[in-house]
Amino acid sequence: MSAKHSRPISFEINGEPVEILAAAHDTLLEVIRYHLRLTGTRQGCDKGDCGACTVLLEGKPVLSCLTLAAEADGCKVITIEGFSRRGEHLHPIVDALDEAGGSQCGFCSPGIILAAAPVVESGEPITRKQAAEAISGNLCRCTGYTKIIDAIIAANKAWLATHSQEDNS
Amino acid sequence: MENFEYFAPDSLDALPGLLSRKRERTMVLAGGTDLLDMLKERIVKPEKVINLKGIAGLKGIQHGEGVRIGALTTIAEIAADAGLKREYTVLAQAARSIATPQLRNMGTLGGNLCQRPRCWYFRGREYVCLKKGGSKCFAPEGLNKYNAIIGGGPSFIVHPSDSAPALQALQATVHTFGPQGEDSIPMDEFFELPIDNLRAENVLEPNEIITAVSIPKPAPGTRSAYIKFREKQSLDFAISSVAAVLEMEGSRVRDLRIVLGGVAPIPWRSQVAEDELRGKKLSDETIRRAAEAAVSEAQPLSQNRYKITLTRNLVARTLRQLAAQG
Amino acid sequence: MAKWKSLKDMSILSTAYPRLDGMDKVTGRARYSSDVRPAGMLYGRLLTSPYPAAKVVDIDVSRAAKLAGVHVILTNLLEGKAVRYAGQPVAAVAADTPEIAADAVDLIRVKYEKLPFAADLDSAMQEGAPRVFSDRENIVAARRPTQKGDVDAGFAAADVVVEATYRTQVQTHSCLETHGSMVEWKGEDLYVYDSTQGVHSVREGLAKNLGISPTQVHVICEHMGGGFGSKLQPGFYTAHAARLAKKAGRPVQLMLTRKQDFLSAGNRPDSLQKLKLGAKKDGSLVAFSGTTWGTAGIGRGARVRQPFIYEIPNVYAEHHDVYTNAGAARAFRAPGCPQASFAMEQLLDEVAEKLNMDPLDLRLKNETNATRRKEWKIGAEKIGWQRRRKTPGSDSGPVKRGLGLGASIWWPGGRGTRATMTVFPDGKVEIRCGTQDIGTGTRTIVAAIAAEELGIGLEMIRPLIGQSDFPYSGGSGGSTTAPSVAPAIKNTSEKAKAKLAEIASGFFGASAEDIIFENGRVYMDKSRKKSMSWQEICQLLETQPLTVHGEWVEGLSSAGVAGCQFAEVAVDTETGAIRVEKVVAVADCGLVLDRLTTESQVNGAVIQGVSYALYENRLMDPITGTMINADFENYKIAGALEVPEIEVVLFDEPERGVIGIGEPPTIPTSAAIANAVYNAIGVRLRSLPMTPDRVLDALDAQPVTRKED
Repeated sequence: MSAKHSRPISFEINGEPVEILAAAHDTLLEVIRYHLRLTGTRQGCDKGDCGACTVLLEGKPVLSCLTLAAEADGCKVITIEGFSRRGEHLHPIVDALDEAGGSQCGFCSPGIILAAAPVVESGEPITRKQAAEAISGNLCRCTGYTKIIDAIIAANKAWLATHSQEDNS
Repeated sequence: MENFEYFAPDSLDALPGLLSRKRERTMVLAGGTDLLDMLKERIVKPEKVINLKGIAGLKGIQHGEGVRIGALTTIAEIAADAGLKREYTVLAQAARSIATPQLRNMGTLGGNLCQRPRCWYFRGREYVCLKKGGSKCFAPEGLNKYNAIIGGGPSFIVHPSDSAPALQALQATVHTFGPQGEDSIPMDEFFELPIDNLRAENVLEPNEIITAVSIPKPAPGTRSAYIKFREKQSLDFAISSVAAVLEMEGSRVRDLRIVLGGVAPIPWRSQVAEDELRGKKLSDETIRRAAEAAVSEAQPLSQNRYKITLTRNLVARTLRQLAAQG
Repeated sequence: MAKWKSLKDMSILSTAYPRLDGMDKVTGRARYSSDVRPAGMLYGRLLTSPYPAAKVVDIDVSRAAKLAGVHVILTNLLEGKAVRYAGQPVAAVAADTPEIAADAVDLIRVKYEKLPFAADLDSAMQEGAPRVFSDRENIVAARRPTQKGDVDAGFAAADVVVEATYRTQVQTHSCLETHGSMVEWKGEDLYVYDSTQGVHSVREGLAKNLGISPTQVHVICEHMGGGFGSKLQPGFYTAHAARLAKKAGRPVQLMLTRKQDFLSAGNRPDSLQKLKLGAKKDGSLVAFSGTTWGTAGIGRGARVRQPFIYEIPNVYAEHHDVYTNAGAARAFRAPGCPQASFAMEQLLDEVAEKLNMDPLDLRLKNETNATRRKEWKIGAEKIGWQRRRKTPGSDSGPVKRGLGLGASIWWPGGRGTRATMTVFPDGKVEIRCGTQDIGTGTRTIVAAIAAEELGIGLEMIRPLIGQSDFPYSGGSGGSTTAPSVAPAIKNTSEKAKAKLAEIASGFFGASAEDIIFENGRVYMDKSRKKSMSWQEICQLLETQPLTVHGEWVEGLSSAGVAGCQFAEVAVDTETGAIRVEKVVAVADCGLVLDRLTTESQVNGAVIQGVSYALYENRLMDPITGTMINADFENYKIAGALEVPEIEVVLFDEPERGVIGIGEPPTIPTSAAIANAVYNAIGVRLRSLPMTPDRVLDALDAQPVTRKED
């Protein structure tokens, strides 16, 4: 690999700054899984059709398999590992998905959690349709989605409850 | 994917030096959703990839006398814009129908207009089809249920964009930048049929990019809608779609534009359908005639005759929906 | 004979509780095969044939071998140099990175002599079709036709006879995690981190393939990303990875690409079914005859289970497997059943219509299963069967609604599992069992059964599964896992309890038989006057943990499953779109071990049925003979927006013990939908999937002109 094809990239991942040397054609998914060894982000299809590799880039769900690592230069990236730290769950959707029984094989779960995050945090009560739309880019072959949608609704309620408390205090 | 040299310029001035006149030697990256897919399949093997995201002034939606949308504006931003929803409904609805939430966060307006065909013979590495420099289009003798029913030949791809039919119906203009500087192209002239251009779907030169799209302010009494039909709601391209913009004067249609998506190699403006309604009242009968006219030019392949029925019904449905808004 | 305690005495089993490994899954900590990366690991990649039929003339690896970062290239993957399907592995590479491996594969030059092919059922059945195997006909002679009574006499006695031809498509498993393994040699021993449904079958198969002893092979599957039958057998990719790793002297990961997964890692065979059914005026079925064909690609096993479920006195049914130049089929959730159900349930509805009889009444007239007889009534009430259109297609407006139904069944139970339990002096309990969790919650029920039996909390149990070094359990297939594993865990727990009861009886000076374990305590007898905590009795073990061995025993599980489903659909006659609005799934459950995971499995089975009914279809290109839609854009799988309201009715009969529930609920979904579609539009769709083009073409072919709304 020639030097001109590699470049240092620095970005923030789950709140920590990182700097790595990546090839121009390395995807964000490859950098996350192979360089940073954060394996919670899954590779399902590697062409943007299944959503298993979803991460938050500048707060928005994107497909890391269709994002060049270089595009993340200077950005904030959050992976599933950023939603829990040392046993503490930083987002209500994590607990909600577990409690609702929204995982079976679990391979799609991290992608689903990150795809659902914006709608959970939308600040208003959501419908089942809105919950389904939020994860309409994520395939799950096991659960039939029903309990995943239950979990998103529950997490949205939990989010609203904690955030209205904060507003009141 | 094979490796390439990566550039992320911060101004348009750097582009002429980077872009190549040779197709696919240098490729531009906006949302990346289509480009990375093709790079991974090794359908394209560029030497350089130019990321446009860092270039100032290519993003955002500016409302004024009409609206101007930067080419790097994401589809999600277009779908969420209140002004677009109100006055340019057809575009907001089209944007909302595109792909999935993740892809809408990534994909850009410029990218959506320039995306390449989804035809599986074009996407498959095994096939050197007409559009990839080969000698034949495989669709007529192969599996063609999603291919063109109008305007096909010698290639039978369909244009996959949802935003394009909407923008064309809104009489938008595409603004470009190239070695000769800036240029503007009306949407009606932006796309090219395979019979005129086999290797690309539009008139852009390999060293030109889209910088923005502008849409004139709709006349008073304008109603618009986009109806897209797909086999499933979660991630799917249009089998057939209808973008319709009607300028009403009382109960009469003063002027209108009907553009079909998913049925032809380019967004297909159906002037024959428009002619059936221009100056007339919207009635079951005029709508039926317009819908019939919309598919009068159709010539199906072996497995896509259903797209004629479907498109006829979608045109009628779109017009009925707009009639009901009166 | 062993018995489960009554439901009212259960504190964990039969209730709803989250899976034990749920937190690992939702936090991304769960480790799948491709997440295991020992130092020095290389990435393997397969070169596969683009042609469905060819002879490999030459393989030139000279350019690939020169590429920096390439460690090993294998070129002997084909037996006899014959390629029989597009996607068949020809060569394999191990390299430093996935990209280098992909580059190397591209640099290998294979010279093929292309041969004529027959890549789908119709072309393979044509006269003069190219043979898939030179020494065999494509159409395999029917073996052991099903024969009963006198079919001719039966039809002669029938008041109505219906004949129809049905077709179903090839469906791929499409597990979210592709097939693959990470393998590492340590001396003479091979460690395999595999995405598998059967750690023991992989050990046996791989040892045989590599010519080594099973004692040298250690298969580990902590978590796996879906199987549905396609990961029951040892993978060819695992054997290739093992050879690459041996030659490289380094660990190798070999995961199939998504496209390779579609082409080579199994599928549900399609079917062509020419069927005939006769009935008396009162609805009693009197005769059935049918010939079915189906392709399992270059493999076998496309049998369609006709006549499906219903008791008919006079039967003749024959089936022909048809070889095609396509990847071999593998077991797929209720093999042979959804195909049969789709055809038979529609045939019954066609008979019912001729008899002017309600389809449900026809089922009840012929129902021989007491459980399903009850289930039909529950399902009918939940869906509101009386709302069914008396005249099909009679709704006004372009969107028309209808109701339909179908029945499910399953046969085997499970047996054969063994387990070991160790109780430690600190009160913690470890169970080792060589089963695996394919997402169904096996790990969780192993712990729950032990906790229930020992009267302690789930947090005290450490269930260790997913290793071939643990006591034997079979593959997770055929819905046998729960009925095989659950009794073994209960039996093992009882043995541990008996030993502890002996210790307790000495301590209390009471009889061992009277000792009661509940609520984390051990009671002298049912008076509950004297007791000690679980921890206290475990401390009496002092320094020596207690280890017991147990096994599957009779009486705690049973075979045979009945179920039924009702579907409500809305068909848009202008677009051909079918929307499934509601499915009522009445699932026969025996003793429910965990309501949460059970419901989730039924939901998942239903959505797979919806997806089979409306979207999924492997398309073989007639020009190249390869699957042309080998990605999730064009191989369409139901997403979250396609989900109907699913009402799961867990019909539990705890006295029957544990039964498998994974497969049956996917069987009747497509049939119920198809019957509902007919009820909605009055046009019968006899081919799967029921896509908009087929709906519109069927409506257009109707002789009656439809009135404009």
